Amino acid sequence: MTSTTSRPDTSLSARYVAAATRSVPEQQRDDLAAELRASIDDQVDARVDAGEDPAAAERAVLTALGDPDTLAAGYTERPLHLLGPRYFLPWRRLLTLLLWIVVPVASVGVAIGQALDGATFGAVVGSVVTTALAVVVHLTFWTTLVFVVIERTSALDDALPTWSPDSLPEHDEHTHGLVELVAGLLGLALAAGAVLWDQTRGFPLPTGDGDASFLDPALTPWWTGGLLVLIAAEALLAVAVYARRGWTLPLAAVNATLNLALAVGTTWLVVQERLVNPAFVDALLDVGTSQDAFTVLAVLLVAGILAATTWDTVDAFRKVRRR
Amino acid sequence: MIDDAVLETHRQELRRGTVVLACLRLLERPGYGYGLLEDLAARGFETDTNTLYPLLRRLEKQGHLTSEWNTDEARPRKFYRTSSTGRALAVALTTDFRAIATAVAGLPEED
Repeated sequence: MTSTTSRPDTSLSARYVAAATRSVPEQQRDDLAAELRASIDDQVDARVDAGEDPAAAERAVLTALGDPDTLAAGYTERPLHLLGPRYFLPWRRLLTLLLWIVVPVASVGVAIGQALDGATFGAVVGSVVTTALAVVVHLTFWTTLVFVVIERTSALDDALPTWSPDSLPEHDEHTHGLVELVAGLLGLALAAGAVLWDQTRGFPLPTGDGDASFLDPALTPWWTGGLLVLIAAEALLAVAVYARRGWTLPLAAVNATLNLALAVGTTWLVVQERLVNPAFVDALLDVGTSQDAFTVLAVLLVAGILAATTWDTVDAFRKVRRR
Repeated sequence: MIDDAVLETHRQELRRGTVVLACLRLLERPGYGYGLLEDLAARGFETDTNTLYPLLRRLEKQGHLTSEWNTDEARPRKFYRTSSTGRALAVALTTDFRAIATAVAGLPEED
């Protein structure tokens, strides 16, 4: 099968060797091509000696060798994947974390910005959706690209944290429970403090005409009193959960009831437009906030409260099941 | 009945390291690609061409094999030979393989 003429070799074997060595670095290419060609010819000769037709033999040998690009990748040790197992887990952890943090923050930020800018409700929804999509696409693309580059160059071999048992999730129920209790009580104390501060001192108006309460003063004493009672009940519940070393079914049921009361109460007041102090609303309108902005902020507020209470309720029941 | 494709995958995984060991031991005497392929097959180490060639290159890059072109014949051939580090690797792999074989032999078996 050796070509004795000076004509360029256009046989299948020659084309195969060219295809397989195309992506190999230049200094190795001739060496590799010569070796591969000799090997193919050896195999074809062996088949022809066994009585096969030369053309069929050549075809069979090349078919057995398979895709020349795969062979080249084997030679150059170039990975045939975008992201291999080595970096897949750090990539997934980082991307999940980024998506959970950046997408909601960007969406809410855009919504508030647009609303204060005086955009209509539809326009706000539209820009939130497009922003969220754009953020997801960009985050995913750039994070993945960085990891692909890292894997191809192994530039970060030592920079990635190696896994150690220290990074295992906390399972010591009681320390975990104590952290949860302290955090919960702090949050509740802050909420109660904010309500009391709002009703007694108020916050500066955006127009600069002194202070006014953010919550409608007409809600005092019954509605705000009810809210404070809810907060106190939540605090007692948190202590009970700690004392019981975790959630039980009755405690989770109480938690669900409290959450339901909070969600229904605030939603009701928002829908009735009785939640925010009219003086505060007028001041915001004076500084150029549109009516649509209130609609958007109200939707965000209700959605936020519903999401938070739903999550809290579901989470408690999940922890009951896990006991 | 085991699925053929699944069986094949498991067998390939089992054989992967043994081909390296066989090459290192066979190339104590210099050999070239196709000759080695035949030799491996005759000794019960079925290997694909597209597995063997990259493997030889990799072992050469790691310094376990040395190579030189032999142009005495009509067809120039690249001959590989096990280096001293390759020999040390072969010894280590052989020891490991014997330990594995012993361990497998000691496993409980269904009659």
